[in-house]
Amino acid sequence: MTGVVMMLHLVLVYRFFQLQILNFELYSKRAESNRIRAISLPAPRGLILDRHGEIIVDNYPTYILYGIGAEIRDKQKNYEIITRTTGIDITILEKNYNNYYRNQFLPARLAKDLTIKQLSRLEEEKNNLSGIVYKQYPERIYNKKIRASHVLGYLKEMDQNMVQEMALKGKYEFSDLIGWSGLEQEYESTLRGKKGVTYYQVDAYGRETGKLDGQDGILAYPGDNILTTLDVSLQELLENELKGKRGVGIVSSPKTGGILAYVSSPDYTPDLFTGLVSNMDWESIIADTNRPLLNRVANGTYPPGSIFKMVVAIALLEEKLITPQLEISCSGSYEFYERTFHCWNEYGHGKINLEQAIVQSCDVYFYNVIQKINLNDLAEYAKRFGFGLVTNIDLPAEMKGRMPNRQFMNKIHGRWGWSLGALLNISIGQGEILVTPLQMVSYINVLATRGKTRPLHLVKSKNIEIQKQNISQQTWDVIQLSMHKVVTDSKGTGWRSDPRISGLKISGKTSTAENPHGDPHAWYIAYGEKDDEMISVVVMVENSGNGSEVSAPIAKKVFHHYFNSVKSKLANF
Amino acid sequence: MLLDFQKKIIESPLSILVAVIVLLSLGILTLYSITVTQGQEPPNALSKQLIFLIPAFLLMITMLLISKRIIHKYIYFVYGIILIAVMLPFFGQKIAGTYRWLNFGLPFGLQPSEIAKCVIVITLAKYLSDHNLQMKNFGSNIVPILIALIPAIIVLSQPDLGTAFVMMMPVIPMLYWVGSRPYHLFLFVAPVFSILAASNVIVFSVWAGVLAVVIFFSRPQLWHAVGLYFGNIFLGLIFPWFWNSLRPYQQNRVLTLINPELDPLGSGYQIIQSKTALGSGGLFGKGWGEGTQTHLKFLPVQESDFIVSVIGEELGFFALLIIMILFSFLIIKIIRLALNATDRFSGLILVGISIIFLTHVFVNCAMTSGMIPVKGLPLPFISYGGSFLLSSFMMIGLIMNFGREELD
Repeated sequence: MTGVVMMLHLVLVYRFFQLQILNFELYSKRAESNRIRAISLPAPRGLILDRHGEIIVDNYPTYILYGIGAEIRDKQKNYEIITRTTGIDITILEKNYNNYYRNQFLPARLAKDLTIKQLSRLEEEKNNLSGIVYKQYPERIYNKKIRASHVLGYLKEMDQNMVQEMALKGKYEFSDLIGWSGLEQEYESTLRGKKGVTYYQVDAYGRETGKLDGQDGILAYPGDNILTTLDVSLQELLENELKGKRGVGIVSSPKTGGILAYVSSPDYTPDLFTGLVSNMDWESIIADTNRPLLNRVANGTYPPGSIFKMVVAIALLEEKLITPQLEISCSGSYEFYERTFHCWNEYGHGKINLEQAIVQSCDVYFYNVIQKINLNDLAEYAKRFGFGLVTNIDLPAEMKGRMPNRQFMNKIHGRWGWSLGALLNISIGQGEILVTPLQMVSYINVLATRGKTRPLHLVKSKNIEIQKQNISQQTWDVIQLSMHKVVTDSKGTGWRSDPRISGLKISGKTSTAENPHGDPHAWYIAYGEKDDEMISVVVMVENSGNGSEVSAPIAKKVFHHYFNSVKSKLANF
Repeated sequence: MLLDFQKKIIESPLSILVAVIVLLSLGILTLYSITVTQGQEPPNALSKQLIFLIPAFLLMITMLLISKRIIHKYIYFVYGIILIAVMLPFFGQKIAGTYRWLNFGLPFGLQPSEIAKCVIVITLAKYLSDHNLQMKNFGSNIVPILIALIPAIIVLSQPDLGTAFVMMMPVIPMLYWVGSRPYHLFLFVAPVFSILAASNVIVFSVWAGVLAVVIFFSRPQLWHAVGLYFGNIFLGLIFPWFWNSLRPYQQNRVLTLINPELDPLGSGYQIIQSKTALGSGGLFGKGWGEGTQTHLKFLPVQESDFIVSVIGEELGFFALLIIMILFSFLIIKIIRLALNATDRFSGLILVGISIIFLTHVFVNCAMTSGMIPVKGLPLPFISYGGSFLLSSFMMIGLIMNFGREELD
């Protein structure tokens, strides 16, 4: 029996030896990590500025309210006090708590964006609360003058699934913010900064019991600001002009490719995603048939209509298939085999040359001349102007539209399913051809600079050369003169866009693009130059009728504002 | 009379008392570290333990001085009373989900089951020494087992698996001590093993082999041997089927009955924290009052069940080695005293008590070091717990009384 007693004690001694001597290191580390909690310090995100340094997106300190499960004694009572003092709905508190709950020792978010006033009222009730804590947090706040929501984008809070995603693994933690669209996404690595860390000793219930000696944390390193090419005053003007309409307005600098204003209407308030907006507002935005969440500038695709005619004219001139002097008679319609193609002017334009065909936007002229060129050659020219290609603007998502060629037509209609008639439609920018407004910005910039433009950008251009056009100066002369006459000629369709400022020369082209969804889309693309200054404007209002009457006047306000009142003119970006 | 008492004390094995006092001091030191470092105001574990020391010492002295004859004479009566006492908590309030404590309106409760442990041992000792039993007969083992089993079952349903286990443990060694056939004792244990082994095919196969070998060498009658063997195998085979036929809530009810301390946080939280506390202590510990696992409350029930982990963390392997030496000395000393006892009654009491201490020490240390699942058994003299302190000192008093050479 003595032996059994000895043996049992030896077993115990060996076990203690094993734990305390052999595995000492392992358990020491475990004990340390048990008691030390690293608390990450949020890094303020970089600001987003306009070209003059005016702040568009800023940070402001907001307070987040947390509940710690293990320490809350009467959840319902605590919620009631919070609701009474701050006015935050009790269902929101419950929903948030369940959403963010990870374990009973970690703080789970109850509400965010608390004001100092709300907090001070909570503070008065402190003795009746248990396990309720709050933490400061930098939140995005936006320039009140503009929305620019489609450009700026928004942030998203990382959820567990996102943390698991391979590409982001290790770099982001649960509930970190990440740029999820627009510039916030594109320049995430610049804006984000580096989180800091501070160490606390905690007890088994996760409560802090003081800072650790000898363990200095790392300070948070704020993200870098980004200086955009946007101009707040132009953006504001365009947003106001397009309010209540479905459409787009973009102002850019043809020489540099920088975007000064970028409006997709309707849009939404940029703090929609920061949580200040109620669920009801959110529902109404989702349900809105005008689709405010759609970025029409980069992701909306439309038939270009008459603004495409310059491509057709350039292709024909360059291929020496027509001369500027060639005259065609327009009677208001054009018979092509059994089909009748109409000019927009049912009374006809009479005898008309290329210049007047552009100035008056005569369709019959183009029905005639388009038959001299085959579709693939035309598509090649269109490509040189960016049709069917992305512009490579520094935004995360962009559609590339559609420039049909022979192969494409065969594919969708079958080898014998389409005829030359389709080409007639394409000649006036209708039919299978689709463009994004952003492509039209790139297009007008090429026209304005005779191909010497730079890629479109909001901060800095990606290092990609734009297409070479290889167009002769004579052709450029004809096209630019025609476009100028669109504005100045007595029969021109673009006269409503001229603010009549001395020395300011405006050239443009209207379009009234037929589409299957209702009234035609009203396009106007133009550029204006005075001294060495030049800007281009693209305006398109969906289903609103005539480009000359709807969109050109908006462009006029832009030109007027820019050449009259924008103080600091274009810098080198 | 006083001279008589003096003689009694001097003649008792005092070295046992030395070991007990060293262990007790270590316990008090540790409780001091826990309560003072964590700023717990009295009444706390330390103050309560110190207060309980007074009746504990008085009880020890009483047990030392009381005549062995009186104990022998009245023990059946005491056994009857204690049977009623362990049932009394069921009429009282549920405390921490169990019916263990008797509330006398004092700031603390008492656990009759703690006192019952040594009453059972003395009762068994009287039964096994009084009667001129034919221990070679199988039937003679039945009554002694029932003496322990009845209170054990009551305690098990409080529920308190640990104490019930301690109550049952002395029975087999005591029967062995008075000459029961090991084969018969084996038969009592075999069904328990059959059920336990049934959960694992390999373990069960090994067990079936051991069973066969033991039965073969014990040479019982053939029909008897075959019946025993297949009875056990059948029990082992049918048990998992029976268990699985229970509904989950029924299984849970049984499991909670057996082990109410089932880990509340899941995934062996208590054991992990206890092993971390022990392992991070190293050879000499982090220093008295410096245990982070302990004082930041990572360590559960640190004043009682997991006090070894506190000592291991703060004072290290060295202190635990001393504790192990003291306990093995204490237990072996008691067994020596039993071997030298002139009468069977004394010897049996000493054996029974040594087994109770051994069970407490082994189960507690094996649990805190993660060798066996969590069973709430405190460590004698070191863990906090009033009733347990009383019964421990009562047993020490009995040892010193019955460990004396002559019969008074």
